[in-house]
Amino acid sequence: MARPEAALDPARVPESEATAVVGDQRLFVASQWQLMWWRFRKHKLAVASAIVILGFYAVVVGADFLAYADPDLSEAQRSLMPPQRLYWFDGWRFAPHVHAVKGARDPQTFKRVYRTDPGEKVPVRLFAKGFEYHFFGLIPMNRHLIGVDADRDASKTIFLLGTDVQGRDLWSRLVYGTRISLTIGLVGVAMSLVLGVLLGGISGFYGGILDTLIQRVIEILRSIPTIPLWMGLAAALPRDWTILQIYFAITIIISLLGWTELARVVRGRFLALREEDFVVSARLVGCSQMRTIFVHMVPSFMSHIIAATTLALPAMIVSETALSFLGLGLRPPAISWGVLLQQAQNVQTVAISPWLMLPAVPVIVAVMAFNFLGDGLRDAADPYGR
Amino acid sequence: MLAYIGRRALLAVFTVWAISVLAFAIIQLPPGDYVTSYIAQMASTGSVVSEEEAETLRIQYGLGQPMYVQYLKWTGQVVQGNFGMSMEWRRPVGEVIGERLWLTVVVSVAALILTWGLALPIGIYSAVRQYSVGDYVATFIGFIGLAVPNFLLALVLLYLGFVFFNANIGGLFSPELQDAPWSAARVWDLMKHLPIPALILGLAGTAQQIRIMRANLLDELRKPYVVTARSKGLAEARVILKYPVRVALNPFASTIGYTLPYIVSGSIIVSLVLGLPTVGPLLLKALIAQDMFLAGTIVLLLGLMTVIGTLISDILLVWIDPRIRLEET
Amino acid sequence: MSQRRPRTRTLRSALTLILAGALLSAVAAAGALAQGGKSSLIGKLEGPEVVTDSGKWPKAFKEAPQLAELVKAGKLPPVAERIGQDPLVIKPLKEVGKYGGVWRAGFTGPADFWNGFRCCSGPDHLMFWDYTGDKVMPNLAKGLEMQDGGRTWLLSLRRGMKWSDGKPFTADDFVFWFEDIYRNKDLVPTPSAAMAINGKQGTIEKADTYTVRYKFPEPYFMLPDVLAGSTDLAGQWNGYKGMGGFAPAHYLKQFHPKYVSAADLDKRVKDLKFDSWVRLFLNRNDWAINPDLPVLSPWKTATPINTATWTLERNPYSVFVDTAGNQLPYLDRVVLTLAENLEVLNLRAIAGEYDYASRHVDLGKLPVFLENQQKGNYKVYLDPGDYCDLIIKFNLNYDADPEIGKWFNTADFRRALSLGIDRDQINETFWLGTGTPGSVVPVDSNKYNPGPQYRKLWSTLDLKKANEMLDKIGLAKKDAEGYRLRADGKGRLRIEIMTLGGQFVQYTQISEMIREQWKKIGIDLKVQEVERSLALQRTANNEQQLAAWNNDGSEHLFTFPLHVFPYELAAVASSGPHYVRWFHSAGAQGKEPEPRMKELMEKWKKAFGVPEKERIQLGKEVWRIAAEEVYIIGVVGQGPAAMGVRVVKNGMGNIPARMYNSPDGKTPGISRPATFFWKN
Repeated sequence: MARPEAALDPARVPESEATAVVGDQRLFVASQWQLMWWRFRKHKLAVASAIVILGFYAVVVGADFLAYADPDLSEAQRSLMPPQRLYWFDGWRFAPHVHAVKGARDPQTFKRVYRTDPGEKVPVRLFAKGFEYHFFGLIPMNRHLIGVDADRDASKTIFLLGTDVQGRDLWSRLVYGTRISLTIGLVGVAMSLVLGVLLGGISGFYGGILDTLIQRVIEILRSIPTIPLWMGLAAALPRDWTILQIYFAITIIISLLGWTELARVVRGRFLALREEDFVVSARLVGCSQMRTIFVHMVPSFMSHIIAATTLALPAMIVSETALSFLGLGLRPPAISWGVLLQQAQNVQTVAISPWLMLPAVPVIVAVMAFNFLGDGLRDAADPYGR
Repeated sequence: MLAYIGRRALLAVFTVWAISVLAFAIIQLPPGDYVTSYIAQMASTGSVVSEEEAETLRIQYGLGQPMYVQYLKWTGQVVQGNFGMSMEWRRPVGEVIGERLWLTVVVSVAALILTWGLALPIGIYSAVRQYSVGDYVATFIGFIGLAVPNFLLALVLLYLGFVFFNANIGGLFSPELQDAPWSAARVWDLMKHLPIPALILGLAGTAQQIRIMRANLLDELRKPYVVTARSKGLAEARVILKYPVRVALNPFASTIGYTLPYIVSGSIIVSLVLGLPTVGPLLLKALIAQDMFLAGTIVLLLGLMTVIGTLISDILLVWIDPRIRLEET
Repeated sequence: MSQRRPRTRTLRSALTLILAGALLSAVAAAGALAQGGKSSLIGKLEGPEVVTDSGKWPKAFKEAPQLAELVKAGKLPPVAERIGQDPLVIKPLKEVGKYGGVWRAGFTGPADFWNGFRCCSGPDHLMFWDYTGDKVMPNLAKGLEMQDGGRTWLLSLRRGMKWSDGKPFTADDFVFWFEDIYRNKDLVPTPSAAMAINGKQGTIEKADTYTVRYKFPEPYFMLPDVLAGSTDLAGQWNGYKGMGGFAPAHYLKQFHPKYVSAADLDKRVKDLKFDSWVRLFLNRNDWAINPDLPVLSPWKTATPINTATWTLERNPYSVFVDTAGNQLPYLDRVVLTLAENLEVLNLRAIAGEYDYASRHVDLGKLPVFLENQQKGNYKVYLDPGDYCDLIIKFNLNYDADPEIGKWFNTADFRRALSLGIDRDQINETFWLGTGTPGSVVPVDSNKYNPGPQYRKLWSTLDLKKANEMLDKIGLAKKDAEGYRLRADGKGRLRIEIMTLGGQFVQYTQISEMIREQWKKIGIDLKVQEVERSLALQRTANNEQQLAAWNNDGSEHLFTFPLHVFPYELAAVASSGPHYVRWFHSAGAQGKEPEPRMKELMEKWKKAFGVPEKERIQLGKEVWRIAAEEVYIIGVVGQGPAAMGVRVVKNGMGNIPARMYNSPDGKTPGISRPATFFWKN
């Protein structure tokens, strides 16, 4: 419920703010969601983050389209290639191209040394044909965002972000990794959501022994360091599952620990709302418990839940990278941000092939974006804030 | 008040017991036991352990007995202060941990100091200048720590330290002073090695603290007394710092309790990468080797720290904030 | 106009010069690049030699200054007395060294005792290999004499030789070990195969104070090799499992129920917080853990392995001396510091914090090591092994899926899979080109190598032949994606390979590569990385299908048959647990192997009881069968992946250009680290 007086208090609202506030009339009849949206818009960083996240999920959907090379194709002669430079102009013409590269291992330094051949220009085409894939798993396509002419193979010629130790193109791997990293976390978050709302709700609404019990369970779960729990649970999984199956199981395990935060929030909200006038009156009027909860109480803190859920996702992403580091999460041949980072976690990468650390960039951006978005949503959802 | 403390303490004991059961169960979850891990270790270096020898080892280590028997034996010992024998280190668990436990605390405290040092100013600034460019920049910096994969950052800093500063690789002491007796030189050596671990660990927790600080301060800044102070003509800085900030800090004081164990748990991976002689890498190795008593004891200790921390936090909160006390009674 | 011509001419000649120069350097570069095979980092094999001619032994001895001080103070007997009449004389590789200094290195924890065995235990084998890894020479023992057609062997000890606490080392120590440790069922539940010939155990008795008699029911011609290699009879480092062949009787008696009352022993067990006297005894006999244990190695443990720093200090009673009479070792102390993880350890080596490091050094980091040679003030050497670095084993007893089991037992299936591997790719990516792609057989110069043609047998990339072979044996049908279908109609043929992470060789990543390669022959391979104990469990339960591992040690075929044929149950990669049981129980348990495998096993067993010439022939036949049947696929061999990258500080002397890299030779033990010293 909004308290318009607080928003319009002249002592509190700076000049720019006052003019930005929508006209009085609309404010008084706006719905809860519209109020949220207007408040949300003020948080510029959150808005920017939302756009970034939409961009990420566009990559998730169009991963096959954005990749130009088969992410599993290995070739020792292309091992550890540094990122290729994309030239936009050939003389005065707009003709994006890269230079062909040849490499060999230097017998003195044992590094792979690559020399570009400026004479041999490989034109880069937009919407070129490349390896086959199924868009959405249904429509067979072979167009990619960029590629090369039919007489060459993009897997062997373009390396915008360089290659890894097995000669696989990093950009393509990164794009596919994005898809897995950003989708698998959703399942775990969904589970956390269900568990958190359910248990937090019961705890807050009924109170008493049930509350104490659930609170104890939460406290126990929060006291145990997560890593041993992960290791123990992960090691107990049947080994003949596919890698993806194991990972789903692990995200569920993570979510079994992650629901505590959400439950706390929900419980707090329930406790606070229980005494509110509108709830009491609903009960007095004769609403059943179920109706009271779902029709009257839940909508009040729906926004909080959305915010908390959004904040759970970056935790999922960070956990995934940590799990991969420990060897518990996704493992090759699966590709995810965690897997890519784990393959970069060694001295020779930092010293000689630093481009392999680039997968850290989308991780950082995604985590920050989700955090700002979540903060923005929470600020917007809080009816007692500015 | 006393009743409240008493009740909480009782619950804490129950929680610790539950943690001990869970800790033990977790260690047992992976298939096999210490002996299979030991055999595999031997095999990978070319040594061979026969089936009979394995059985003998199992009996000698008491691994052949049912789970609850081993658990009772362990808790019986723990209550007496004997944490059992580490199979991997072949020394009493207490000895193996003892050296590292307080070093872990030192590193965590350093990280905590850094976290607060960053979070408080940023949180205050963010609350006061909400939605300004400065707010965004400061928040950005604060949140970077949360987003950067800290194990990668640790490795990069290790390498850069070597390349540019010829720094020791990892660890908390220079090799010469590693085992030396305590002296001013050794303390200073420790200080010199703390910045990198403290930085990496501290940055991770900054985001959460910024949020809390900002939220608390925003709440305070709305209060009528702030308006009054301002309208009475007090300088802005004084208005903010003298009262709202101090009130906003109250909940902070109560979070000390469980922030420390939180940092300790969160430092496990970074400690491993940086090669710090703390409890983290020890725990990881013990879990992999299924060194039951060592792993179980560390998990139990960490859990215990958290429970005690939460207990202290709750008591502090009640003590500082009379409103909660009144609500309870 | 006229000015332009000279300029043009000069220009042209300049251009010609430049072109010529470029051409020359291109040729040179091409030549250098093409020379990829032998790197300048691989030197000539060399090492110190044991002087066996007692006429050439030094008559007067010298010792380290701090020991001389102790002698002066009356705390130690004079050096000649400490060494005895029969010193173990070693001719240093390059020069007689100087006393003093510390050797810093890193270790990874209490499980890393092989680190210390390799660098610092002497080696304390009774006999030992020369620096080529080929000949057996006297070591702690003065000589070994064969009698009675190989049934009896007389081992002569060195007169006056002493344990590190000054007590004499005599035949009594052998008898004590044999009677009171080896034959005590609590300490040693299972007898060792090293003490047996054709399954029949031998005995050890005292002939006189300095002579030990080994008696066997049948001729045991392999005994010299067994006493020289890293076997159960070979040295005190084995003491932690009750093996070793000898033990300090005078010290260990106090922990043994035969010599101490039960009450006293119980009290001692409780005081030291052990569960049983067996645990206590084995702990006290542990070279890496007990600083009080009397030893015969050049250094002895001062602070044990289960602390943060494993220190070893010079043994004042060391029997090792150089040709000038200096008692070895030259270096006073060895200090191993704990590195919590391998990246930290390698980075420390890169930074020059270690004086000599080869263990745990990662071949993949070679360029970084080379880059920092000047800054770290060290030099990098490569010591390729003689064995196959990477092998893939088929579990011939796999029966959870009968169809797959059938294919594993079909020789042409195995051969086809072997032909489907692009070894050059793997060599280039993971060995940086330093390995040799090929089959399981050891290096060509190894005495058991059956012939150079066996290197490439079934071990080249031949997709056409592989596909043909697979078609012919009944796997011709393929599904829509090109993978072969099972013969029993149950869909796609899927096989699984088990790998371990965190090893010297990157098994998982390599298996990924092989997975991609085998797509081209229609085989669907699943890569499953597991932790160590899980690997063990699966092999023991016969759940493993394929496994990737390495074959180090197999160049000494008879002491390290672990990964040549199914030999050991507790292995992380198995070729057939039922066959292992059959082998060790002489047919009573397990399953009888197919004819060629049986032939291989029998030949191997027979070799122990025949003279050297015949043994070599048998060894060659064993490898021949292994190479022809491809029970184990060899991928890349003779590489430096396992402890073959050596980083040595520039000031250290007597460092060989190349060492024999072998677990049997306890590399670097085979190059006598006791002769390493600081030049300035």
